[in-house]
Amino acid sequence: MATYSFKSSGKTVEQRLVEKIEATRIPIGIKTPLEINQGEGADILVTYDTLEETVGDNLRNLLLTNWGERLGLYDFGANLRPLMSELVSLEDFDSSAIERISSAVSRWMPYVSLDNYTSSTVRENNRNLARINIRITYNVPTLNVTNKLLEINLNAM
Amino acid sequence: MALKRDDIVPVRQRKYFAKDFDALRAQILEYARLYYPDRLRDFSESSLGGLLLDMAAYVGDNMSFYLDHQYGELNSDTAVETINIQRNLRAAGVPIVGASPALVVVNIYLQIPAVSSNNVIVPSAEAIPVVKAGSIFSADNGTNFILLEDVDFSKKKSDGGLSATLQVGLRQPDGTPRTFIMIASGLCISGTDARDSFSIGNTFTPFRELTLTNADVTEIVNVVDDYGNVYEQVGSLTHDVVYKNVLNTSSDNELVKDTLKVIPAPYRYISNVSLATRKTTLTFGGGSADTLEDDVIPDPSDFAISFPYTKTFSRISINPQQLLQTKTLGVASVNTSLTVNYRYGGGLSHNVPASSIRTIKQLEMFFPSNPAPSVASAVRSSIEVLNPLPASGGEDAPTAQELSALVPSVKNSQERIVSKEDLLARVYAIPSNFGRVFRAAVRSNPNNPLATQLYVISRNSEQKLITSPDTLKQNLQRYLNPYRLISDAIDILDARVVNLTLQFEVMLDPALNRNILLKQILTKLQDLFNVKNFHIDQPIIISDVVNSIFTVQGVMSVDRVEFRNINNTVNNRQYSTSTFDVSSNTKKGVIIPPPGGIFEIKYPEVDIIGRAV
Repeated sequence: MATYSFKSSGKTVEQRLVEKIEATRIPIGIKTPLEINQGEGADILVTYDTLEETVGDNLRNLLLTNWGERLGLYDFGANLRPLMSELVSLEDFDSSAIERISSAVSRWMPYVSLDNYTSSTVRENNRNLARINIRITYNVPTLNVTNKLLEINLNAM
Repeated sequence: MALKRDDIVPVRQRKYFAKDFDALRAQILEYARLYYPDRLRDFSESSLGGLLLDMAAYVGDNMSFYLDHQYGELNSDTAVETINIQRNLRAAGVPIVGASPALVVVNIYLQIPAVSSNNVIVPSAEAIPVVKAGSIFSADNGTNFILLEDVDFSKKKSDGGLSATLQVGLRQPDGTPRTFIMIASGLCISGTDARDSFSIGNTFTPFRELTLTNADVTEIVNVVDDYGNVYEQVGSLTHDVVYKNVLNTSSDNELVKDTLKVIPAPYRYISNVSLATRKTTLTFGGGSADTLEDDVIPDPSDFAISFPYTKTFSRISINPQQLLQTKTLGVASVNTSLTVNYRYGGGLSHNVPASSIRTIKQLEMFFPSNPAPSVASAVRSSIEVLNPLPASGGEDAPTAQELSALVPSVKNSQERIVSKEDLLARVYAIPSNFGRVFRAAVRSNPNNPLATQLYVISRNSEQKLITSPDTLKQNLQRYLNPYRLISDAIDILDARVVNLTLQFEVMLDPALNRNILLKQILTKLQDLFNVKNFHIDQPIIISDVVNSIFTVQGVMSVDRVEFRNINNTVNNRQYSTSTFDVSSNTKKGVIIPPPGGIFEIKYPEVDIIGRAV
């Protein structure tokens, strides 16, 4: 029969489970489009907690921004809208779009590695009006994020 | 009392050194990361946080820019907006003027029939006319010159002879004179006379402003309304009297042409020139004609005995320009029309060369003795004009920068000439209808401690230095006199123009085209010796010339720089008559002009000679 000292007595194995400490939540970026935070926390706006989400949101904003729209940074953005006005006549729309996207990403978000580009034209009911759907897959090597999909829609003018 | 731990309030460190966009953005970012690390972390350019940061920095940058801008606008040196430069100039008392007219003496030639009087053949007295002021003569380049004074050909000298020069014109077959040529001179000013009429309604408007239609107004001849009221121009609407030149009719009028009179001016106006348009705006008084009865000259004894029943009194101050008992700042009529007669136009092109004013555009002639119409017509048709000397004094409108440069000197001056700076400021601010001096300098008179020597020089239409015309100097004398202290004397002298030639030898890089390099050097030196860069008594520093040559790339060494005096006529080029020994006036590499002298390379295209070795 084993002998135990009372000095060694403590908690049971179940009781010795590591106490769960809740990590402090630190927002990284603000979600766009802006949304009022309806949930818990002190933030007024909905924010992203992960770099992966933040990068995705920033990339979307970069691709949807045209030159001259960003205060103080004239050449910020992929500047895709001018391509939309030439959609009918532009034979190499895709190559132009790819060039603009890769140029903007390499300048403003160099940590993003672009993977695939696909586009499709959605004409809906009107032959003269079109919407371009662009799907991009990208990786963020420094975050070990791979094969993420970003989808944006651009309306032809 | 000891400070408790709880009393210490944490202070957030703010920095106020950032002024531009990048610095503000960096500081806001630093602040956010330091004090709000748990709120947001992504401030990259592509993020919304970055966008907000940019906006805050942009607002700060804008505020910083406008703060700097507003402070800059308060100073005449740094102001850039025309309206603010204009306000600064007015606050400093610098008169804004347009282009200045040229002055010239024109000879008027008339052919008068000869008559026999006491067996002497003389010009017919009844056929001698007066050419009236306002007659207009035209130069070859189209510039109009207006006669400023009546030219009375019958005017006699103190010995009884005619003032006009007399020459025999046509002769009878027997050789006796049939006609005489009479020559008299009159002062003319360039420009165009104009008249603007303004209809004033029944509503009284205090400080009514009327803008004349033409720019570069050089003189407002008169302003009258339908009731015959004459409006006087004053420096400020608080000045309720004007000093006027009135023809001296007493026996000493040969010596004293005009007398100065104090005239009450209840109807008065001030004029301001817009810096942007150079148009003149007249501002009239703030009182209505109902208050006119207050505008009377008071009894002088009111001023002489201020306190008649007291035995003692303290010092009293009197503004000699405010003698009327009025607070109206002048009155302006209503329900009338105002007619403004004025003269406008000027510029360097008005400095026409000699013998170029030959056309009579408008002749106003008067025959005091009322001759037969055929005689009057013959005399009238015989008139010819010619200017023996070039016109001078015309200058283009001074730029905003040139006017701003006058601010420091005008600011320090007052309505009296006390210092040398006061005198120079007055000379440069002479009303443009009196002509304009190009450069002026002041020196002490070595023979009279109370006298000052004022050297002046003008430019002709080719922008060459010429002696200021006597008329301009007389105008200057009259203009300066009221500001002069009673015991001071100012001798107005002609600045001595010293014409120079410059010869230089340089060694050039053999790999480069020597002709092109020489041309570049010559252009550089021509700019350096532009007369605009020279003042009276300004020396030439030879090292400056050498430095200027060295600024042309390809110059390896400057072997020789030599100045020589050139004067009188050389190869049909007319120079100043001044002789000047360059070598004896060169000390330690500085060529010092004679007292009251100004250097000029008159024909830089031929007077600057370069040689490449």
